[in-house]
Amino acid sequence: MTRRRRTGLLSASLAAMTAGLLSGGAAAETLDPKALITERCASCHTPEGTDSWKRISHIRKTPEGWEMTLFRMGHLHGAKLSANEATALIRYLSDTQGLAPSETADYRYILERQPNVSEAEADEGLVTTCARCHSFARVALQRRDADEWLKLANFHVGQFPTAEYQFMSRDHEYWKRISTEMPKILGDRFPYQTAAWTAWKDADKPDPAGTWIVSAYQPGRGAIGGSMAVAPAADGTYTVTYDLVDASGQPVAGGGLATVFGGYEWRASTDLGGGSMREIMALSEDGKTLSGRMFQADADEIGARVTAVKADGQPTLVGLSQASLKAGESKTVTLYGDALPSTVDFGPGITVAPLTAAGDRVTVKVTAAKDAAPGWRTVKAGGSELSQAFAVYKSVDSVKVEPETAVARVGGGGGAMAAITAQLEAVGYLNGADGEPGTDDDVRLGALPATWTAANRDAAAEAMEDAKFALTSHGGGLFQPALAGPNPQRRFGTNNVGDLAVTAAVKNGGKTVTGEGRLVVTVQRWNDPPIH
Amino acid sequence: MKHITPMNRKAKAVEQAADGGGVDEVYTMSSIVTGCTATVDPGWEIDPFGSVAALCAPMEADLYGCSDPCWWPAQVPDTMNTYPDWNADAPSAQNDWRELGAVFPKK
Repeated sequence: MTRRRRTGLLSASLAAMTAGLLSGGAAAETLDPKALITERCASCHTPEGTDSWKRISHIRKTPEGWEMTLFRMGHLHGAKLSANEATALIRYLSDTQGLAPSETADYRYILERQPNVSEAEADEGLVTTCARCHSFARVALQRRDADEWLKLANFHVGQFPTAEYQFMSRDHEYWKRISTEMPKILGDRFPYQTAAWTAWKDADKPDPAGTWIVSAYQPGRGAIGGSMAVAPAADGTYTVTYDLVDASGQPVAGGGLATVFGGYEWRASTDLGGGSMREIMALSEDGKTLSGRMFQADADEIGARVTAVKADGQPTLVGLSQASLKAGESKTVTLYGDALPSTVDFGPGITVAPLTAAGDRVTVKVTAAKDAAPGWRTVKAGGSELSQAFAVYKSVDSVKVEPETAVARVGGGGGAMAAITAQLEAVGYLNGADGEPGTDDDVRLGALPATWTAANRDAAAEAMEDAKFALTSHGGGLFQPALAGPNPQRRFGTNNVGDLAVTAAVKNGGKTVTGEGRLVVTVQRWNDPPIH
Repeated sequence: MKHITPMNRKAKAVEQAADGGGVDEVYTMSSIVTGCTATVDPGWEIDPFGSVAALCAPMEADLYGCSDPCWWPAQVPDTMNTYPDWNADAPSAQNDWRELGAVFPKK
C-alpha cells in the first residue's frame, strides 16, 4: 500500500466539520469573514470588485450547502479553516448568499434529515440527470445562473468520471444534454437572482428570543410538548432551555445553544432528556412559528417533528398529546399552548374532567360516550381551537403502515458504522363520509398499538431467507437491522440485507385490522454528508 | 414494437414487459426512498426493483471495485479522486471492513 495514510487526520477534520459548525460556534462573530475570504480563498477565487469573488459570489446555498463547499475546499484544495473560521464563513455566506424561506420550503426534508422520504420531482429529465445518485433536493437548494450550472456539470465529469456512465451516456447525447440543455433548465428554474431572495435579504429578520410553546411528535414514542425559552447569548448565539413532558407525563428537560443562519435557519445542539440532540428548524418569516426536526446526534433517523409557536400571552392551542379516543373509553390528554384556561372543550359526545393546569399545558381526562359519533372533533380552549387534530372512533376502518416503504441499514458487528433503524407505525383511519379507505376524507386516528411481523417479500427473499437474517428485533415497530459484515451462514456469505413485507395487526374489538408495508434492510452508506 | 417481431421467448418477454408498463414501473420504483442511489444496474443499496436481491453481495466482495472507479460516489467514497486514503487501513474489504468509516462521520 503506497498511498499516503491520512485517514485519521481526515476523520478528525471531518468530525469537526460535522459536529459543531452549524450549532454553537462561539466567537465566530468576532472574525471578519471578508478578511477570511481574502486570506484563505482569494488566491484561487480572485476578487471581482467590492465583496465579490469568482465562483463564490455567483452561487447561493443553504448553511449545509456552504458547509459541504467549505469541506470540499479544505479537503481537495487545501483551504484550511478552523471550526470557528468555517462557522464565521457559513454565517456570512448564508446571510449574503443564502436562500429565502420560500426557496427552501419544498425541500426542507433533506436538511432535516428526515428518514424514508420519497421525492416528488416531476421533471424526469432532471431526476434522471441528477437524482439517480443523490437527492433532487440537493440540486433544488442551490441557486446559480446557467453558466454556473454548467461549471457544476463540468465539475461532476472531472471529479467523478463515471458520471458519464451514470448519466446513461450510451443511451443519448449525454454531453449535449448536461452541457447545454440542463444548465439552461436549471438556470431558468433555480437562478441566482430571484425576487424572493432580494426581498428576504432586505427584510427585517425574526427575533427568536422569547418563550415558545412546543408541540412535537416522535414516531414510536408519541407526543412531546411544553415550552422552550430562547435568550440571546454571546457572539450572536442563543441559549435554549426546554421544559417538556412526553405523552406519558415524564419530564423531558434540557437545553443547549442555537445559531440562526440567513435570518431564519435555526441550528442547535442540545442535551435533551439525557441525550445529545441536534435541531434543524426554520423560523417563519413573521417570526411567529419555528418548525422542523430534532434528532439524536449519533442516530439522525431517530427524532421528532417539532412545531413551536411564539408565546404572546394570548390563549393559543398548539398541540395535543393524543390523537383519538374510542367511544366508551377514557384517556388522559395534555394540551400544549399559551395562556390556556383550565376549561377546555373536545366537542360533542366527550366529557372533560380537568386534572392539572400549568400555564403552557393543561392535562385533562376525556371520556367519550358509548354513542359518541365517530369522526373529527374540534378542540377549543379560551377562544383558540384545533380542528382535525382529535377524533372519536367506534371501530378502526383501516390501518396503514407509515412510512409505507422504509430503508434500514446493517451496522455494528465491530465496525465503525452503527445500524440505521427504521421506526414504523400502525396508523388507524376511519373511512370518512365516502365509506372508502385511502381517500382524502379519511379520519386519521394516530398510531395504534400493533403486533408486528416481517416476512420474505418475494420469491428471491424467500430463497435467501431474508426474514431469518435481516433483523434482530422489531418490537413496537422499531426495526433493528442485524449485524454488518459478510455472514458465512448465508448463501454466498452475503450481508444481512433483506426485502421484507411488514404487517401491523391492530386489535379492533373482536377482530384484527392489518396494514402492510415494505422494509428494505440494506448495506451501509459510507458517504454521509449533511445533504444526501 | 411496431416494426420488429419477437422471435424467441426472451424477446417475447421483453415485448410483454414493455406492453405491460414494466419499464415505467422500474423508473418509478427506482427512487423509492430519497438518498438511495438507483443509478445503473444495480444501485448501491437498492436494485432497480427497489429490492436488494440483485445487489452485488456481500458488498465487501466488490466494495473496492465500487470505490476505485468512483462508481457510486454519493454513497461510497471514491478513492480515485476524492478520498484516496479512505480504505488505507483496510487492504482487504472482506477481512478489514471493520476498519472502514464514513466520510462525514456523525461525531
